[in-house]
Amino acid sequence: MSTRGSAIFDGGRIVPLLILIAVVLALAGAAEFAPTVVQRRITQGLINLVAVVGLYVFVGNSGVLSFGNVAFMAIGAYVSALLTMPAAAKGVFLPDLPAFLAATEWPGLAGALAGGAAAALVALVAGFPLMRLSGISASIATFAILVVSYVVLGNWTSVTGGQNSLMGLPIYVGLWTAAGWAVAAIVVAFLHQESRSGLLLRASREDEVAAAASGVHMVSHRLAAFVISAFVSGIAGVLLAHFLGTVRVETFYLDLTFLIIAMLVIGGMRSLTGAVAGAIVITLLTELMRLAEIGVTVGDMTIAAPGGLGDALLALLMLLIILFRPNGIAGGREISWPFGPATPTTETQPRKPQ
Amino acid sequence: MELAAERVSVRFGGLVANDDVSLAIAPGEVLGLIGPNGAGKTTLVNILSGFQRPHAGAIRLAGTEMTGRKPGAFARAGIVRSFQAVRLFRGLTVSENVEVGLVGRGLGRAEARRRALALLADFDLLHRAAQPASALSYGEERRAGLARALALEPRFLLLDEPAAGLAAAEAEELKRAILSIRERHGCGILVIEHNMALVMSLCDRIHVLGGGRTIASGRPDEIRADPAVRTAYLGSTAA
Ligand SMILES: Nc1ncnc2c1ncn2[C@@H]1O[C@H](COP(=O)(O)OP(=O)(O)OP(=O)(O)O)[C@@H](O)[C@H]1O
Ligand SMILES: [Mg+2]
Repeated sequence: MSTRGSAIFDGGRIVPLLILIAVVLALAGAAEFAPTVVQRRITQGLINLVAVVGLYVFVGNSGVLSFGNVAFMAIGAYVSALLTMPAAAKGVFLPDLPAFLAATEWPGLAGALAGGAAAALVALVAGFPLMRLSGISASIATFAILVVSYVVLGNWTSVTGGQNSLMGLPIYVGLWTAAGWAVAAIVVAFLHQESRSGLLLRASREDEVAAAASGVHMVSHRLAAFVISAFVSGIAGVLLAHFLGTVRVETFYLDLTFLIIAMLVIGGMRSLTGAVAGAIVITLLTELMRLAEIGVTVGDMTIAAPGGLGDALLALLMLLIILFRPNGIAGGREISWPFGPATPTTETQPRKPQ
Repeated sequence: MELAAERVSVRFGGLVANDDVSLAIAPGEVLGLIGPNGAGKTTLVNILSGFQRPHAGAIRLAGTEMTGRKPGAFARAGIVRSFQAVRLFRGLTVSENVEVGLVGRGLGRAEARRRALALLADFDLLHRAAQPASALSYGEERRAGLARALALEPRFLLLDEPAAGLAAAEAEELKRAILSIRERHGCGILVIEHNMALVMSLCDRIHVLGGGRTIASGRPDEIRADPAVRTAYLGSTAA
């Protein structure tokens, strides 16, 4: 235990973690002074950050794209909603709820952990067959998870309310709750990638055949990452639900899937720094776009960007990144001191090991 | 305690890549595996390391049947192979490439890192430890491949053309490295190699394949004198 702990502090490996945490806290700190609307956007951005980091845990380390993580968000959101909603609200929205659920009113944290755990459990069961598939087959199978969860949640009316929104969830997620969970998600992702299982999984990402020759049992390490990834995504869903105060099945489908994947791709899916950078950069850009769409008023004239420009730009940005910088903003590296993704590509520079 | 292929055959469609081949490697022995291009050398290493299931015949490690097990099981049993194309984990650092084997054997990351650096020092790669493996030169890549293999503590080490593309001096260095591996780890080593001078001076015994079949097997001086081997290398394989 102690040797493993010290590995994390060895050779400045922990530096990226500290920087990423500092960035998140600085962002939240800055938002503290911003107008309420902006503050809410940043809060939502931090929730998205949790979702992107959750997706990264699996995608970044395994090299297999997952389209299914938003399903884990949905599972987290609904489980937490069912466990934490006031009994009175459940009586209104879910009259047919089984009795043992109808009366439960768990505290927020317990509901959140249960939501994450439920998502992790589903990932464990679904992942067991799926993680054996290779590359593109596995990705398509994760898309099936998304579709199945969408259909089930949308039609299981007695428990989820079906197509109707669930309202009256305790709203306990504000700026600092979101920031706290964002830090927690980053820590979890970092510990996983520095763990033995994380290293072996990344080896199999680089070369499955050579990893097998090194005795790596890829399937089990993939499954472990998938389960952790689902837990963090589940938490992101919980946060979103308790930020908005409502849950709708429509929230957790293609739009959100696209947004979260775009954030990861643009930031760079091969490093935790990339995941965090993608979430933050896209959040800030979207916010700028929103302001542009509202426009500036000069005298009695309003100059505004056309509506929908934000989404189009996001798609365009992703396309450009895929074409010209396939490893994203972070370029597959972790951030290092001094500030900024400063570590140059080491291709040509010999460097002494620490 | 030996690693043995017993009368193994492998077909790819109509092509017989290995035809009734038997070969055994003893601990502490350096066995050369030679033969013209396409003779079936890599296929035999694939069989011996669990990457290719033979259509007939068996693989035994110290008498235990290994046939049909997964490559990972072979690796964990101490049968470690390198690849003709090295196949490093290019996106990982050089040190992490070596750590993979150590961590896979149950070591914690800190201890794995310490040992990886020691191994890299043996192969004169310490100054490259923190760099991505994709940054290595060709010769360095080959040495890193060896360090990665040794991290698995092989009982048997199967090397597929470890000296391919190396300059004479580097090949000589590699030879010394292989001999010192034998010395220090006591493992049995199989080397596929086209450089005859290297093979003759390095190996205790040599096994010759041609067209998937065993053409000859014996001490270097016997192989050098064998007419069938000369014929095989002139192109008219005895298949
Ligand atoms: N997976 C495969 N599918 C079909 N044919 C194969 C496959 N692997 C090898 N072969 C064929 O089997 C024969 C033996 O190949 P192998 O790679 O074992 O030769 P080799 O002795 O290692 O040659 P080289 O010296 O060129 O590396 C060749 O004719 C090759 O084309
Ligand atoms: Mg070959």
